[in-house]
Amino acid sequence: MRRLIGDVLLPRATAIALWAWVAFNLALVLWVGMQSLKDSGEVWLNPFSLPTDPHWDNYASAWRAAEFSAAALNSTVLTLLGSLLIVALSAPAAYVLARSNRRVAGPLTGYFAMGLSIPLQTLVIPIVVIKLSLYTFMEDWVTGWWDNRITLLVFQVILSLPFAVFVLTGYMRSLPHEIEEAAEIDGAGPLRAFVRIVLPVARPGVMTVLVLNIIGLWNETLLVLLISPLPEERTLPAALLNLYSSMQYSSDWGGLFAGIVILIYPMIVLYLWLGRRIVEGMTAGIGK
Amino acid sequence: MGAGTLIQAPPVAPPVKARALRPGRERAFWPFLLPALVAYTALFVAPSLFGFWVSLNAWAGPGSEMTWRGLDNYLALLSDDAFRTSFVNTFVLALAGGGLVFGFTFLSMMVLRHIKGRAFIRSVMFLPMIISMIAVGAAIGFLLNPEGVVNTALGWLGLDPQPWLGPDLVFRCIVGGLVWSSTGFYVALMMSAVDSIPAHIYEDAQIVGATRWEQFRHITLPLTWDVFAVSAVLWVVNSLKIFEIVLAFTTGGTPGSPPLQARTVAVQQYSLVAGNAIPQLGNAAAMGVVVLLVTAVLIALTRRITRRERVELS
Repeated sequence: MRRLIGDVLLPRATAIALWAWVAFNLALVLWVGMQSLKDSGEVWLNPFSLPTDPHWDNYASAWRAAEFSAAALNSTVLTLLGSLLIVALSAPAAYVLARSNRRVAGPLTGYFAMGLSIPLQTLVIPIVVIKLSLYTFMEDWVTGWWDNRITLLVFQVILSLPFAVFVLTGYMRSLPHEIEEAAEIDGAGPLRAFVRIVLPVARPGVMTVLVLNIIGLWNETLLVLLISPLPEERTLPAALLNLYSSMQYSSDWGGLFAGIVILIYPMIVLYLWLGRRIVEGMTAGIGK
Repeated sequence: MGAGTLIQAPPVAPPVKARALRPGRERAFWPFLLPALVAYTALFVAPSLFGFWVSLNAWAGPGSEMTWRGLDNYLALLSDDAFRTSFVNTFVLALAGGGLVFGFTFLSMMVLRHIKGRAFIRSVMFLPMIISMIAVGAAIGFLLNPEGVVNTALGWLGLDPQPWLGPDLVFRCIVGGLVWSSTGFYVALMMSAVDSIPAHIYEDAQIVGATRWEQFRHITLPLTWDVFAVSAVLWVVNSLKIFEIVLAFTTGGTPGSPPLQARTVAVQQYSLVAGNAIPQLGNAAAMGVVVLLVTAVLIALTRRITRRERVELS
């Protein structure tokens, strides 16, 4: 009896459940892709058949409907620029925190890690206030114009800093000491040694942080809704949310699915390409 | 990206006398650190403190007058039905969701060590982590629509269609969606710990005649308990800020405002700030501070509950 449950029933049932789970995930991703090529009637009537004749124009209509073109551009620029800035700020900081013998290095590392436990909710009000004040301040006193997307970029970068510094500090610590010593003997200054020697050696860790932030920023929604809610300023998740809530008036279901594909397929391609590294990065420093 | 949350800072290398004041990187210390340090302090830490200050006042935003309220905002939250509901919801989500997520994770840990295709299963289960919850909500919302596929299938089975995304059921669907999307992450986390358990321990257990379940209970779980303790903390932190999935599951039926039955604290706070009424920033800020406090308490509690003698491999 003990054997039957502990060795056969429980493991078997779990294995079947896991494969069902896997099948569901794969089916969902493929199904969304298929639905995006159907017209709205077909989406409803034959939700599980292959599209009879592919309606590529769904993409064109999604593109126009919720200003997806602007959103896609915003998402791409903000995501790439944001994740590069995050790395540019966090990598040098993590490097000196990990390698310095100064006594402040430890407490400062902890100071950055503290940010990981401050929930975004605590910052929601300050962020809204800063956004409004910054806009007025810049427009009235400095440049005469301001774009909330810049504020959005700033906060996307800042809020991602603790995690990036945390992961990179751990990573930099695992690098051999000899590398930059060799560089120094060759007479390279700190900046040169960092850019030419340390960064290339730390590339796997830096790439991981970069990719994780690309995924994180691409899917970010709350900040976008708070900081740049206007149609021409928002990013893809917010645009999709808008398309979805206007659904009962437009009922352009094919277009909705096209919007979903535009949002999720780029990340799936990234995952297919770098899958293991993404998983390892997200679980780094916690597992093992 | 909540991973890594609240794990104590990585240990700093002990000062090595012989290496002290390596000129290059020590000279670079402040120049390399300051940009990140200043940005983080000015735009993350200081605003958090400012948020606490706002929570003690009544305020409609920049340009309007701020009046001192002391703890009145917090007291008002206690008697605010909407806040109480969203607060309870957040708790239920954290507890029920956590039970399901770790239940599935434990079961997976029992078989994922030797099943065929284990790497594939792990990576496909992880997939929802990288997909926008807004997209998931829109896709699954279509399936759960009153005239959607799920209800059609129920009709074939002779069952009554259910208003899945209606106010009464939507919260359960949200819990389900949350469990579906997060379990893969915790499986990946726990399995990375399982991977480092030496195989011979399991071989010994098999010789003694332990079943798979017993191997899990007496070997796998005790030896991965540290990582589980951290995972539990992570779950708590992440579940308190659930936002997107609620919006995604409720937007289809009722544009604008999610029904009260489905709101989490994050959603409630957002509706308070982004709604059409005069913003009550003091109240909303108090919510944020409450979440911070609850996070801290829950973390302490989770740590306490999961604290055990560390099992060392000889």
